[in-house]
Amino acid sequence: MYGLTRYKLLFLLPGLLILLGIILFPLGFTIRVSFSGWDAARPGLDWIGGTNYSRLFADGRFWESLSRLGAIAFTSVILEYLLGFALALLVWRQVRFRRLTRVLFLIPMMTTPVVMAVIWRTIFHESLGPANDLLSLLGMGSIPWLTNSFWATVVVILVDVWQWTPFMFLLLLAGLLSLPREPFLAAAIDGAGPIRTFFNVTFPAMAPISVGALIIRLIEASKIMETVYVITSGGPGTSTETSSYYIFIRGLRDFQIGYAAALSVTYLVIMIVLLTIIAKSLSRYLVKNGA
Amino acid sequence: MSKKHYAMRNLNVALGGEIHLQNINIDLPQSGVVTIIGRTLAGKTTLLKVMAGLQGPQSGAFTQGETDLLKIPAWKRKVGMVYQQFVNYPHLDVRQNISFPLKRAKFSEADIARKLTYVTGLLGLEDYLDRRPAELSGGQQQRVALARSLVKETDLLLLDEPLVNLDYKLREQLREEFRRIFSQSADRLVVYATTDPAEAMILHGQVIIMHEGRVVQSGDYRDVYHFPANVIAAEVYNDPPMNLLSGEIEAGQIHLADGLKLEIPAHLKKLEAGTYVFGIRAMDIEVGGKSKATLALAEVNGSSTIYHLNLTGSSLVIEREGVHPLAVGTPVAFSLDTSRLYVFHALSGDALVFPARKSVSGQGDI
Amino acid sequence: MRNLLRLIKFAAILIWSAFVVAPFLWALTTSFKTANGVTSGATYIPFVDYQPSLGAWKGLFGSGGGSIDIMGPFVNSAVVTLSASLISLILGTLAAYGLSRFTYKAGPVGNADLTFFFISQRIMPPVVLAIPFFLMLGLFGLLDTIFGLVIVYIALLMPIAVWVMVDFFNQVPRELDETAMIDGCNPVETFWRVILPNSKPGLVVAGIFCVVFGWNDFFFAFTLTFTKTQLLPVAIVSLNSSVTPWWSLSASALISVAPLILVAFLVERYLDKGNIAGGGK
Repeated sequence: MYGLTRYKLLFLLPGLLILLGIILFPLGFTIRVSFSGWDAARPGLDWIGGTNYSRLFADGRFWESLSRLGAIAFTSVILEYLLGFALALLVWRQVRFRRLTRVLFLIPMMTTPVVMAVIWRTIFHESLGPANDLLSLLGMGSIPWLTNSFWATVVVILVDVWQWTPFMFLLLLAGLLSLPREPFLAAAIDGAGPIRTFFNVTFPAMAPISVGALIIRLIEASKIMETVYVITSGGPGTSTETSSYYIFIRGLRDFQIGYAAALSVTYLVIMIVLLTIIAKSLSRYLVKNGA
Repeated sequence: MSKKHYAMRNLNVALGGEIHLQNINIDLPQSGVVTIIGRTLAGKTTLLKVMAGLQGPQSGAFTQGETDLLKIPAWKRKVGMVYQQFVNYPHLDVRQNISFPLKRAKFSEADIARKLTYVTGLLGLEDYLDRRPAELSGGQQQRVALARSLVKETDLLLLDEPLVNLDYKLREQLREEFRRIFSQSADRLVVYATTDPAEAMILHGQVIIMHEGRVVQSGDYRDVYHFPANVIAAEVYNDPPMNLLSGEIEAGQIHLADGLKLEIPAHLKKLEAGTYVFGIRAMDIEVGGKSKATLALAEVNGSSTIYHLNLTGSSLVIEREGVHPLAVGTPVAFSLDTSRLYVFHALSGDALVFPARKSVSGQGDI
Repeated sequence: MRNLLRLIKFAAILIWSAFVVAPFLWALTTSFKTANGVTSGATYIPFVDYQPSLGAWKGLFGSGGGSIDIMGPFVNSAVVTLSASLISLILGTLAAYGLSRFTYKAGPVGNADLTFFFISQRIMPPVVLAIPFFLMLGLFGLLDTIFGLVIVYIALLMPIAVWVMVDFFNQVPRELDETAMIDGCNPVETFWRVILPNSKPGLVVAGIFCVVFGWNDFFFAFTLTFTKTQLLPVAIVSLNSSVTPWWSLSASALISVAPLILVAFLVERYLDKGNIAGGGK
């Protein structure tokens, strides 16, 4: 169509250039910094080659933080998926209180994660928090929520589940509400019970939206750090430290800028590769099932 | 043709690897009515969009007189367009919708008011000026769209199957109105795309038959009716489509399917023996006679009844005046008016012999 | 059997609802406590379990001793979030309209790649950007300023605006644009006079998403500001020290999430109109 070129660029360029400027320039800068020895003592862009990267390969704390991140992210996302699906199924056919339950279930994902994490931290306070108080009412001993590595991890996951199950719930409920009626009628005519109907009809039909929701949540979960910072500060020790949090400590606490940049680049590359593999294999599973 | 006539030369449009228009060469007058007729996806819409400047061709030229229209963006052309889906501005009421193009063209308030009164009167929209499009019926919405494209003085008015989404009665009514409305301003070319040959015949003017992105035939609406260039033109420009039966000329007779034998009429005497495609209009087959076939479907269409008869390998469609419902499966006797037979080449489909011209009733002024 | 099933269903919804509201209720009751009410162990019901006081709330609004400045950070958060959201919405909507309507081609890069570039910024872990942002803003003297944060938040929010609006514009029929152009509007006028007035639902959703994500950011506000330009989440988290005034903490947390709870009601109303498709894709 004649005469468009000028206008085409007018629409796209302002946003594109600004985003490129804000994101790509710093990213390029990070890559350059990762080859420097920039730290608090010697700030500046010198060139030390791949030293930061060879140090990183021997840095057990970094690799541990990565595997810990994997464990926390997968556990949280799977729990959120199962709970979100279950809640969506519960509310799906329900007419009464649907709006009330929906707005109620929506609230956690809208509220500021760190602010809610602050509240959760008081709830899991060992001597003053209601969590242990309720356990003692049930006749159980108190649990060292924030001072034991296992329980601290549990709290981090629990807070994530509280916050993000609503996201799964919302997407899956949208999916359920948009399902065609016919397969369910057919299953009912075949005399299939609710469990068989779920596994033969509902679940396969929900596969595409499930994959989408899982991927979006995995991407978000791979960035977990704020709640960790507030609830456990990575502790006790380094037992709840995620990769983002470790990079943050190295970079903006210890001011080992060069080394933190190398960690950032490595982390970003690993995330992109892993998330791409996960997304691709999940989508392939989709195609195989003809959904 | 006048010096300011429209010409398309070797025009090609392909979108996403799909060919929409292929080597289009047409000439259109500066004013009058041109009907583009073809099935769905024949390329009619794309052709209109090229004319409006909404779609650029990959190659070719589109000119008006000396002017290269392809160099003028859509918003600077003097064009109006009406779509088959009633497109109006949802956020504006009817008055604002219709005056929208006038405001863009910087007409004075007084001019706008005058034109608005005229066009709303023409289309019977006076009572709905304060409503939003969503509060109108489909027919009213389409009238608003039409009013918006009529109210500005355009060189070119494009209508893309404007009646297809309306119900039968409204379609009949608006079809009649179109003829009146289009004749209001003599200095404008109306290009009207449709799948319905009846609309083309009512509007008169030039007819362009399209098929799979190509122009199959172009000419005066009567000429195209009487002398279809090939089987596609014969099918597309007749409703019901012309019956096409393959058969042989052999030993002084025409042999069609199911042992149907016909005497060779005078206008076909010169044809050599061999295989041909014979065409005959549904209205040129009479009920009653020697031949028989079973009825597959009977439909009443306005004032006539249409029978679909089963023949081996094909079917035969008969149009009968009046309402005569029949049960499916009934044997129906029929006879072909052989003086009305068209003959097409068996392989290329090109027309070989036409019957003599004859005035026809019920299909407009042919 | 049927009744039992219904009972289980009801109980499950009830348990989850309790889990959802628990931290809010806990914060609410804590916000009325005094030091005594907190240090004597977990208590729940005012007047029965502990003697309530309005001290924490009074402290937030500047009267009384031990007052905590929460209104300053609240205003900062509002200014940064709203201006970054507005700019992101404008730039993102323009880009989204372009990506939805026109064909871009620069070498091997086409519309799909450009759209992906915008949206993929959501994949970027904040920590990867925090270090260069810190150095760059420092270089331009923009650390600890509202302006610096707005720039960073634009990068954070524009992808969301583009994502929502591309999806929205793809559902607006092209014939509407074409009709506007035929009626004499150039593409800018088409966008401004015809498309934008009909894009309210999309803009509302994109705006809500931008505001929520902007309001909820902690990490950039935390790393790129110190004391001068404190945003609300940072102010609240800084209360989370060893000698925690839980009552003020709870009261300010509630103030900070109150706008979001209002937004949640808005979103729910929007979902109820059946506009859920955009979120599901």
